[in-house]
Amino acid sequence: MLRDIFEKRMGKGPDFSRLKRGVNAEGDNDARNLPEIPDNMWKKCNFCGKPILTADVKENLYRCPKCGGYFRVHAYRRVEILCDEGSFQEWDKEMPFVNPLDFPGYKAKVDVTKEKFKLDEAVISGECLINGERTALCICDGRFIMSSMGHNVGEKITRAIEKATEMRLPIVIYCCSGGARMQEGIISLMQMAKTSEALKRHHDAGLLYISVLTNPTTGGVTASFAMLGDVILAEPKALIGFAGPRVIEQTIRQKLPEGFQRSEFLLKHGFVDAIVKREDQREVISEIIRLHDKDLIEKSMKTFGRVSDLDEAEISADGAVNAAGAEEKASGKTESTAWQRVLISRDPKRPTAKDYMDLIFDDFIELHGDRCFGDDGAVIGGLAYFHGLPVTVIAQQKGKNTKDNILRNFGMPLPEGYRKALRLMKQADDFRRPIICLIDTPGAYPGMESEERGQGEAIARCLYEMSGVKVPVVSLVVGEGGSGGALALAVSNEVWMLENAIYSILSPEGFASILYKDSKKAPEAAEVMKITAADLKKLNVIEKIIREDEPASSENIHEIAKLIDEELSDFLARYKDKTPDDIARERYDRFRSF
Amino acid sequence: MFGKVLVANRGEIAVRIIRALREMGIRSVAVYSEADRDSLHTMLADEAVCIGPAASADSYLNMSAIISAAAAVKAEAIHPGFGFLSENAKFADLCRQCNIKFIGPSPEIIDSMGNKSEARNTMSAAGVPVIPGTKEALYDADKALSEAERIGFPVIIKASAGGGGRGMRVADSADGFRDAFNAAQLEAEKGFGDNSMYIEKYIKKPRHIEFQIMADSHGNVVHLGERDCSIQRRHQKVLEESPCDVISPELRQKMGETAIKAAKAVGYENAGTIEFLLDEDKSFYFMEMNTRIQVEHPVTEFVSGVDLIKEQIRVAAGEELSIKPEDVRIKGHAIECRINAENPSKNFRPCPGTITDIHLPGGNGVRVDTHIYSDYTVPPNYDSMLLKLIVYGKDRKEAIAKMRSALGELVIEGIDTNVDFEYDIITSKAFEDGDISTDFIPKYFPEYVKGAKNL
Repeated sequence: MLRDIFEKRMGKGPDFSRLKRGVNAEGDNDARNLPEIPDNMWKKCNFCGKPILTADVKENLYRCPKCGGYFRVHAYRRVEILCDEGSFQEWDKEMPFVNPLDFPGYKAKVDVTKEKFKLDEAVISGECLINGERTALCICDGRFIMSSMGHNVGEKITRAIEKATEMRLPIVIYCCSGGARMQEGIISLMQMAKTSEALKRHHDAGLLYISVLTNPTTGGVTASFAMLGDVILAEPKALIGFAGPRVIEQTIRQKLPEGFQRSEFLLKHGFVDAIVKREDQREVISEIIRLHDKDLIEKSMKTFGRVSDLDEAEISADGAVNAAGAEEKASGKTESTAWQRVLISRDPKRPTAKDYMDLIFDDFIELHGDRCFGDDGAVIGGLAYFHGLPVTVIAQQKGKNTKDNILRNFGMPLPEGYRKALRLMKQADDFRRPIICLIDTPGAYPGMESEERGQGEAIARCLYEMSGVKVPVVSLVVGEGGSGGALALAVSNEVWMLENAIYSILSPEGFASILYKDSKKAPEAAEVMKITAADLKKLNVIEKIIREDEPASSENIHEIAKLIDEELSDFLARYKDKTPDDIARERYDRFRSF
Repeated sequence: MFGKVLVANRGEIAVRIIRALREMGIRSVAVYSEADRDSLHTMLADEAVCIGPAASADSYLNMSAIISAAAAVKAEAIHPGFGFLSENAKFADLCRQCNIKFIGPSPEIIDSMGNKSEARNTMSAAGVPVIPGTKEALYDADKALSEAERIGFPVIIKASAGGGGRGMRVADSADGFRDAFNAAQLEAEKGFGDNSMYIEKYIKKPRHIEFQIMADSHGNVVHLGERDCSIQRRHQKVLEESPCDVISPELRQKMGETAIKAAKAVGYENAGTIEFLLDEDKSFYFMEMNTRIQVEHPVTEFVSGVDLIKEQIRVAAGEELSIKPEDVRIKGHAIECRINAENPSKNFRPCPGTITDIHLPGGNGVRVDTHIYSDYTVPPNYDSMLLKLIVYGKDRKEAIAKMRSALGELVIEGIDTNVDFEYDIITSKAFEDGDISTDFIPKYFPEYVKGAKNL
């Protein structure tokens, strides 16, 4: 080896060049201008352990530039990241110190902490603009005694909520907490009730609350204000839970799995609407506030139909042409049989609900979870704009390929899917947003877990609650309308179908095997069951058929989406002047007639 | 002068720098990745520090590891070589903050020259010619024609969103310009959904000519002549020579003065290279500035007699340039061939592996810069360059003869190399005749471009 040869030649180790040069290698360091790494230039990432540049961390919104891990953010830094510049006006900055238990040494600890972090308490509150949206805002700061909730934290948050209610502002709370403030004992516990009470009043006043869960949100804060948001957002990988992981491990004497109690775990289990990256929070939060703005909803609802009033002549002329065209076409093409339509409606290449949503609605924000057990992939729902009007959209979604279908469960919802839908509908009702449902399901999922979690109850609850909703609801069957699984999203003011969609009490195969004792007779069954859009229109089960000149596909989806868009505009124009009570009563009467 | 310098690189350039340091009586510190324990630079340096795993991102690009190594061994300066962190403004800035001299220009200059459009604007403002073109998007053939006439034919019409030759046309004269414009625009619209176009002066048979600049912190700037790097394969230089035989002493003076003007415009310090495109009609246009030592610096060292690495170190230590502009003499002719571990018959796929046998050419006017030796294993993690063979003769003819002879002697066994490819070029009539432009290889060696040649 070359190294050995070099060493042998020099006889005095590998450092042969030094001998050649005759330089006193060790001695010449003294008077030199030596390198010096400034303090705080580097940090060690506490997630990946790699050294990172402090300047990079700040630039990267306090995340590790190597692994992307989220560091805690000081409350006032958060204000800089989130609020429009200079818009934050702080409330209750200084609160008199309280020591309800006369806990020894507590004041000294608080004083030292105040001085060290230049913070008065573990939370700051105030009002601000986020992308121009005015809102109340509370931000917890994890440096202050682990942002534990003592009297002053609870008091500042409660006052901020009360003030927001009074000023009719939404409130956003960035949660971060290790739990109760031990030094304040039972008084700390009472803060949970106090803050929750205030939020209940805020909600009953018809106002929005967005909570944002950051690392860590644990203990009493989780069991109070953190989990009460109308919309609950979380930062990626934040620890969120009631009992701390160590307590759980000690109790159950098991090691907890990776990712347990992290944001992604909560999303999967239905407790978080969305995980939002730090750079997107400003945009997402301001958009959610706008989508809950009742004035905006009322105003943009009123504009529906105005355009068509002006252009009535033109539109009716168009309509006539369309109608004539349709007739011509209808006479030219041979009418599909019911069974053919069954097959078309099930075609894996047929556009899914999301395909139509993407074309019809703008800026969709998906909200997840039933706040009970899980998040169902077969039902997607959230907020979007329809021609500037905030709406709630709920859809049953089939997968586009096998992998997607595993996530979507082949479009067969579990109980948590219906509970999510119901949660979103109630929220829409509270904030006066019209509801649009897109239906495409072979049926509610028939599996053990469905029964364990109450599939029947979940569907029944949808029918029950939808009947009383006071905003306009319209449902459109875009593919398969499979029985109760479809009806759960179709107790609406109007139900529409695409021309090749079907809507039935059960599948033709099931019908044939019950009545004819032979599932192969499904094509016959399909004819007698009256499941096509045309048949159902005759039975007054649906109000409208959306034309498909050719069966819907990626080729003609734009045309079909345009027809749906026009019908939706027309629907909203017809409903804009109806009172909430009339809207609910008409829906009641619609189903009362069957 | 520095007492100890850390070399933040590997391969032949690290060896080159370590040798220069040793000759200057400065202690050298090598840094190496786990894959480079047995690399020559690790063995030749006075000290060697392992800075991480094989992957470049974890070792030779790992700023924190390199800075900590420099602090730990008390190195006063870091020589970045080329590639890796050599043109990383952030690294240069970190060095400055840590009281370590970065042997190269300031982070501000690295940053401003790293941004190609900013660099061109700076140069244009300083009176350095840049390729004339339109600044705003064009949509209309008539408007475009008047712009083309302002620029002067021939012009190239390009799609703003373009790439891969689509939406691109050359127009030699006003006749047919409109058709060419409309055709390119249609292609652009179809291909990229964007019909905004721009026009640039079209350089026929351009040569890639770069001028070596050396500047100290006292405001002295010299140029050490040019290098012709036109022989390129997919924008990778294959062979370089100095001087360029189509550049007259007058043109050299003019281009050299322009290069100095460019360096002074940005307050440049240390070694740098100003790249120009040279038109057949001998007009030249600024392309970009490289703020580091270049691979092909030895050809300049041969013809100018200046040791560029030593000069870099001296200048970084605050000394004045050792050479005055009036003392610069370009004498003789030098050619460099880059020998890579790659297989020309397999589309130049890199071929790492163990070198079983090696014979290096030598003799008068032959220089070999390399880090390879018998039994050395070329790791797959880095650039495939193995060796630079540089020859020096009294004129181009002698240099070519010397390169043919040296390449003929060069033996590297055990792995695939491009030696035969270089030999084909140096023995070609086209090269000998000097019919050189950046499309030399596609024109004379199309089989190598396709990678189909079976050797």
